[in-house]
Amino acid sequence: MIEFLRRLGTLFRRSRVENGLDEEIRFHIEQQTAKNIRAGMSPDQARRAALLRFGGVERIKEATRDEFRAGWLEDAGRDLRYGVRALLRAPGFASVSILTLGLGVGAATAVFSVVNGVLLKPLAYPEPDRIVRLFQIDGNGRRMQAASEPNFEDWKNGTRSFRAMAEMSPGPAPVVVRGQSAMIPGAGVSREFFDVMGLRPVIGRGFDESEQRVGGTPAAVVSYRFWQNRLAGTSIEGQTLRTGTTTYQIVGVMPQGFDYPAASEYWVPRELRPPQRARTAHNWQVVARLADGVPLPVARADISALSRSLKARYGDDTWMFDATAIPLREQLTATSRTSVLMLFGAALMLLVIACLNVSNLLLARVANRRREMAVRLAIGAGTWRIARQLLAEALVLCVAGGVAGLLIAFAGVRALVALQPGNLPRIDNVAIDWTAMIFALAVSVMAAVILTMAATLRTGDRDLKCELAESQRMSAGGRASQRVREVLSVSQVALTLVLLIGAGLLVRSFVHVLTVDPGYRIDRALILDLTSPTYPDDDDACRRYLAFQHDLLSRLQALPAVSNVALVNDFPLGGGWYANGQFFEMSRPDEFKSYDDVRALGEEAKARAGFAGFRIASEHYFRVMGIPLIRGRVFNESDGFDAPHVAVISESLAKTKWPGQDPLGRFIQFGNMDGDVRGLRIVGIVGDVREITPESSPGALFYAHSRQRIASRFSVIVRGQPEESIASAARQILRQLNPDMPVQTRRVEEAFDRALAGRRFNLLLIGVFSVSALLLAMLGIYGLISYLVAQRTKEIGIRMALGASSRDLLRLILGKGATLALLGIGAGTIVALGLTRLVQGLLYEVTARDPIAFGGVAAVTLAAVIVASYLPARRALKVPPVDSLRV
Amino acid sequence: MTHKERPDLLQGTLDMLVLKALQLGAMHGWGITERLEQWSDNILQLGQGTLYPALYRLERQGLIRSSWKVTENNRRARYYTLTASGRRYFEEELTHWKRLSRAVELILQASSA
Repeated sequence: MIEFLRRLGTLFRRSRVENGLDEEIRFHIEQQTAKNIRAGMSPDQARRAALLRFGGVERIKEATRDEFRAGWLEDAGRDLRYGVRALLRAPGFASVSILTLGLGVGAATAVFSVVNGVLLKPLAYPEPDRIVRLFQIDGNGRRMQAASEPNFEDWKNGTRSFRAMAEMSPGPAPVVVRGQSAMIPGAGVSREFFDVMGLRPVIGRGFDESEQRVGGTPAAVVSYRFWQNRLAGTSIEGQTLRTGTTTYQIVGVMPQGFDYPAASEYWVPRELRPPQRARTAHNWQVVARLADGVPLPVARADISALSRSLKARYGDDTWMFDATAIPLREQLTATSRTSVLMLFGAALMLLVIACLNVSNLLLARVANRRREMAVRLAIGAGTWRIARQLLAEALVLCVAGGVAGLLIAFAGVRALVALQPGNLPRIDNVAIDWTAMIFALAVSVMAAVILTMAATLRTGDRDLKCELAESQRMSAGGRASQRVREVLSVSQVALTLVLLIGAGLLVRSFVHVLTVDPGYRIDRALILDLTSPTYPDDDDACRRYLAFQHDLLSRLQALPAVSNVALVNDFPLGGGWYANGQFFEMSRPDEFKSYDDVRALGEEAKARAGFAGFRIASEHYFRVMGIPLIRGRVFNESDGFDAPHVAVISESLAKTKWPGQDPLGRFIQFGNMDGDVRGLRIVGIVGDVREITPESSPGALFYAHSRQRIASRFSVIVRGQPEESIASAARQILRQLNPDMPVQTRRVEEAFDRALAGRRFNLLLIGVFSVSALLLAMLGIYGLISYLVAQRTKEIGIRMALGASSRDLLRLILGKGATLALLGIGAGTIVALGLTRLVQGLLYEVTARDPIAFGGVAAVTLAAVIVASYLPARRALKVPPVDSLRV
Repeated sequence: MTHKERPDLLQGTLDMLVLKALQLGAMHGWGITERLEQWSDNILQLGQGTLYPALYRLERQGLIRSSWKVTENNRRARYYTLTASGRRYFEEELTHWKRLSRAVELILQASSA
């Protein structure tokens, strides 16, 4: 073993050829010269003669160097060729090993590509680590989704750690370009945005001063994709895009691939609109670039100190207690980091299990060739040479396995990306590139070295000499090798257990998510997502808009295929803004007309305040969605535009805001949302709804009637069959009523799917890994038990001849298998108890130590191992004792 | 007495001679050439440098081992010794060589008879 390492070292000591050789040759020449002088030559002559006798010194040095090179290559080549031939002679062993390794390496490489693309690769901006997102922190220490403009201005002017800072307001909007109307994601961005990102338009220019003020010339910069797809790559001269009532001149095109934030395809200057003065209107996301030489912690401290002083200055006028800066890449990948790393851990475990399997096989092979190796040792081969040949075989195996793995990884990555799980950002970055290939190769080579070391662990001189003296019986070395194999198998079972427990926990979470009650009951429906390009600003415009909405609804209802129609501004299953805000309770319907009225209350204002999601729904909405009415009533025809405004609240809002009291009949002012200061009277309480995904907790919701409040973005829910014809009819109706309004259709089932996509993806991968691991572990146990049985054929024969029943012998063999299994399960459970804590964030309604998962998995593993042990046991028992006792 | 300055020596033969030279004990490269020239009655006059690639090769194959030592004249030199495998290898090759040369001898004698 030490010899092995020493020789491994000499492979790299080229310097020996240079250093020692010089001195050696010099010594030689001097000695020969001295001899010549003793023979009578003059010193000069002697030296010349010596050099002549020696031959060309440089030539000799070259020849020695060549020996070094040739020898190394020659030996390596010979060993590799020998290794290949040896493997070809054992095709069963070779193919199983290569496939097993391929599976392990392939899985690890595929997931590594995901890790690389999603987490590791730097963003495609200049000096991307210097870009940070700034967040307000609320009174509970939580990061707020958005910041308000006055806070942003104070940040910009009051800190010195940032070279540039900008605010952004991203979101899709209905845009008309070249006569086509579509929902296109875009963003309003402030002056320094492009400085923060470090990019400039590749065609045209950015915004100039005249375009970045209220009343300035509206200009827009578009993305490369926008330019290619919607402008067909033609000149941008004179091209415009229209959203709402504003027509923007397209003045520039950004570099290919840039779409920050939120897949934006166009950017417009924020400065076109008047500034927002309310410190509590949180509508902006803030991004900044660190100043040169300023480290992140310093910048964080800077903005934190400033924000805390702002809180001190403004008190209740600001909801920001503190602030922080998060590097952009981290912020983009935060939600998926846990699941990606968990998948990587699982893939690595699978790889280790695969290596353990191959190790077992290799050991078995080595054990079979002990006689051969003992003979070779006897005739003079060094242990190093034997080890080197084993290394060559292992290397060939592992490289072949690595190549197989790369192929599997290619296919795997292709499949992963096609699955398009919604929860993986930057998924287009995921591909098999040089990094992945180097990873695969490195892993394969390391596996080869480790496997060889494991296999030659006990191949010392002494052991093999004993081997020669032994007959078929197990020698001391053989027993040691068997111990090692047992340890390997137990480790396999342990790791498999960990993987299976992970899968089990995820399965239970998934089942919980599927069975949770979302609060509404709707299985099949078509959803039309609509956004009005303009916002009605006066009473007449409002009436017209509402008329349009209800025209739309009644025309849809009139279609023969349609059974039910309803409208809501934020459909629970994604696709909405999920507007929320602060409201105030009033003692009279017109108590507050403005925010100042509220402030006049002073301290009491706090007691009157509440926070809820603001929803606008049509009168049939609750019925269509299957949301139960708990008390009071829902909207009806009498709640028209001119009638007193009414509202319906969700149960959790009633419970939290008015515990033990009756919310019905109270007046609420929700002017924060749309500027409409008319009070709303609560007339009903409905059941809670889980929004966005079935996993979220039910929130406090406040519903206003769609005949009384304007929902400029809304979803129409249409129930009926068949859905395709309804969709096309709906588009026609819309084109007649409002051609500028883009419509997107989707189905409720798709929405459900999308909400569960991330979880399903994780489950699928872990499931595949753990089942593969279980199969590999079973294979390993099968191999080990077969070997053990083969070793003890004679013993079994004797026992049978002496009268042992097959049942007893079966119990003996299965007992061995069960012992191994229990050891593995025990070890694996301990490891799992420690590790599952890390993935608690991915679980739903399941603890990291869920006993059902642990227990179930242990039982399954035990059963699997017993099955794997049963087959070789049965085979052995079939052999009649007469045959096994025969020598 | 005329003799070829550099007789052709097969690589394997040179290896054998070196191993033989080392049978008596450790020696440095120059010492080995001296020994061989003495024993061959100066018939064999190797281009002395050809020894060193051979020594390197033999060491790489594990048949000899080297270490730096100090000579009687207090000079540093690399000394070579036979390893156990070297000894075994030499015995084998010697047997082989003897049989081969006997066979050649027989054939040559046979044709002249």
